[in-house]
Amino acid sequence: MADVTSAPDAATLERPDTEEGVLLDVPWITLVWDDPVNLMSYVTFVFVDYFHYSKSKAQRLMMQVHGEGKAVVSSGSREEMERDVQAMHSYGLWATLQKSDA
Amino acid sequence: MSHFKSRRKGGVYVEFPPHAAGLLGNLARQLIELLSEGEPRQRVGDDPLEALLDFGSARERPDDPALQRLLPDAHRDDEEATAEFRRFTEGALRQSKIHDATVVVVCLGEISESDMEDVEFELDAVQARCWLRCLTDLRLALAARLDIQVGDEDAWQNLSDDDERLPLFEIYGWLGYLLESLIDVVRH
Repeated sequence: MADVTSAPDAATLERPDTEEGVLLDVPWITLVWDDPVNLMSYVTFVFVDYFHYSKSKAQRLMMQVHGEGKAVVSSGSREEMERDVQAMHSYGLWATLQKSDA
Repeated sequence: MSHFKSRRKGGVYVEFPPHAAGLLGNLARQLIELLSEGEPRQRVGDDPLEALLDFGSARERPDDPALQRLLPDAHRDDEEATAEFRRFTEGALRQSKIHDATVVVVCLGEISESDMEDVEFELDAVQARCWLRCLTDLRLALAARLDIQVGDEDAWQNLSDDDERLPLFEIYGWLGYLLESLIDVVRH
């Protein structure tokens, strides 16, 4: 068993750039926003078709978009969210990405 | 009468009277024109990979409200990230929308005013999705032209008969009906 004889002095440790987070890999999210054009049935269809969500989850997210003005529809790395946002735009949904803590 | 009927393996049987087919084809062609404006023309023989990887130059947010809605900003409060996203993805997004609309145009075929026969054809599951996306894009573009906003549904439902926006709004409503009935068929 190792014997820790002296703890390193925290003050002397080089402070990493914590802006992006070191251990906590802050995920990104894709938001879909309400718009006056897209049909509720279509928005639900897109969530099932693209994300392969269950009918009930897709419907819940659609109702959230409709009722609250927006919903988080996916989360992951920035690259993954860029892919999702581009896909949502190809379906004609109004989507944006951002850091999940933003 | 519905224009769409379910077929095996996610296929869809489609039937349109000639005037409806002509109108839809015309709208899809206009959409292609709108999305192609100012874009480098793709010629037969062009390397598709090279075209996909053409991240050449920065892109401005489009001025046209219809294009703004079809090609929206990807970030809400980050101009730099928004511009970067446009630079790397807008060309491909335009191409995918042009592709969807082209599928609609090709399926409907050439229709002349003297045609009396219904237009009939079948879509496979992939083509049906192109149709859903294109019908949506057409509605988005028309809504931008009409300036349809959240909360003004009542005003639109009560347009007077001599309102000059009525013909366009009726087309918008018809596209919504087509989309809804196609979703019904594709879902099953």
